[in-house]
Amino acid sequence: MADRTIPKLLQTPAVVLLLIWMLVPLSMTLYFSFIRYVLNSLRRPEWTTPSISNWRGFGNYEYVLNAKDFWFAIQNSVLIVSSILVLTVILGLGIAVLVNRTFPGRGIVRVLLISPFFVMPAVNAVLWINMILDPVLGLQGIAVGGLNNIIDGLRDFPVLGAFFSLWPELEPISFRATQTSAYAVIMMVTWQWTPFAVLIFMTSLQSEDESQKEAATLDGAGAWSQFINLTVPHLARPIAIVVMIQSIFHLSLYAEIEIVSRGNGNKNLPYLIGEFTSNNIGAASATGIFAVILANIIAIFLLRMVGKSLMD
Amino acid sequence: MATVAQTSKFSNIFWPVVAWVVALIFFFPIFWLVFTSFKTDADAVKPEFLFFFTPTLENYTNMTENYDYWRFAINSVITSTFATLFALFVGVPSAYAMAFNPSRHTKDILMWMLSTKMLPAAAVLYPMTFLTKNFLGIFDTHFLVILVLCLINLPIVIWMLFTYFKEIPKEIIEASKMDGVTTWGEIKDILIPLAWGGVASTALLCFIFCWNEAYWTVRLTTTEAATLSKLIEGNRAPEGLFFGRLSAVSTAAVGPIIVLGWFCQKQLVQGLTFGAVK
Repeated sequence: MADRTIPKLLQTPAVVLLLIWMLVPLSMTLYFSFIRYVLNSLRRPEWTTPSISNWRGFGNYEYVLNAKDFWFAIQNSVLIVSSILVLTVILGLGIAVLVNRTFPGRGIVRVLLISPFFVMPAVNAVLWINMILDPVLGLQGIAVGGLNNIIDGLRDFPVLGAFFSLWPELEPISFRATQTSAYAVIMMVTWQWTPFAVLIFMTSLQSEDESQKEAATLDGAGAWSQFINLTVPHLARPIAIVVMIQSIFHLSLYAEIEIVSRGNGNKNLPYLIGEFTSNNIGAASATGIFAVILANIIAIFLLRMVGKSLMD
Repeated sequence: MATVAQTSKFSNIFWPVVAWVVALIFFFPIFWLVFTSFKTDADAVKPEFLFFFTPTLENYTNMTENYDYWRFAINSVITSTFATLFALFVGVPSAYAMAFNPSRHTKDILMWMLSTKMLPAAAVLYPMTFLTKNFLGIFDTHFLVILVLCLINLPIVIWMLFTYFKEIPKEIIEASKMDGVTTWGEIKDILIPLAWGGVASTALLCFIFCWNEAYWTVRLTTTEAATLSKLIEGNRAPEGLFFGRLSAVSTAAVGPIIVLGWFCQKQLVQGLTFGAVK
């Protein structure tokens, strides 16, 4: 009897805490999503307190589904998350194979490579958007300015100058416009998370069967066909795990969007919820429920894919 | 034969050089942040001082004055430390029970815990603000930040501890049971010393995640319990006027964690992949 109760008791605090953490706020969101609830309304002051008498049914959901912002946010979320996933997996594979050999300073290379992963998101965004990507004061602006100066100088050259004078002036790209700021976010998050993919792929590569590779070499298989036929299948599970963990983190990407976009119209689902929350709680909650559904679809899909391998 | 030897000699030099170049490119933004932090605000935006300038420490000495750095840093230390301790305090017994006395439901419980990580934080933003502000009155307190940081990291902590505890031979625990050791004694005198490395790296990773967290710490605080994430987020738009001082405060915010991260990069893999990649 005691054998079963003690382990149960030991698990209880963690389970209860997580259950409260999950259920209480979520059921409030669910409730708010079905009522009219705004923070400020001069015309209808009764809507500013949550009450069952302000029942709206699926009205908030309808409102959200008809909002242009909502579809844009979904589209942008998908664009941002999938771009990051593709980029980090490809870059991660390449770099992991590159580093998976013995050479002088390998330890230092590993330390340099992993560092971006530990940078806090807020610093990551501030650093990239200001000091690197700014079209005037950042490195991008300075580099473009420098190139233009060099081309200008070359124009005074005899003969060759005629060729260079055909070149247009280079224009720096502003990463603060609606569409380009999504690219800026993709860039900075890829920079931060590629090290994570590298680290996991590298660990997995070290357990790869070397004798298989040697046999393949003896049979005359080239490096590329070895990579495609032996290494990539060996990495299938780590790739799935990298995709799963990154999806968890990037679906709720917020700080980077907030810092880069500054209300320029670029938004993902969490950011849209934040915008609604400044007044229309009903719409924010309905959007939140959509976000939960979306996350669940992806979670079920991903857990199916890798869940089994986690328990071995 | 000769051609094989030649290509391998070439690739023995070529690929390591490529690896070094890639590593330096990835590290460059961090280098640039630290580098800029030694420039004055005026020099930081002048192309003629891009690489050659008179280094100064004024951005660091003025950090308290400019940004009230230490207040935020101390908040970050307090909240991350206590959230980590609390997560271990709840997580160790739970992972212990699941590793050594698994029931039919253990698998499901572990999967369910992981799924709580997938709940989008933004979906419950307003209820959390509402509850803590109007109802519980704990908005913008250290207690709230510690609690939330602990809860969002608890699934990962339990998973990591579980994978470490599973490696310990069951016989050791069972032998101690025969000797009449209490459950608490088992955890304290046998489990923790045996899995010390695992517990330490779990704590380290949890601490790093707490330190870098940037949603709840920004949204559930105003001044009292605001952490470094909030400080940087609040100064996000310097328009080039303060690149020097902003770099210094950012360096101070991420420096300690990057160094800490270097020490636990091996454990990071096991921790983040829940032991599925070895």
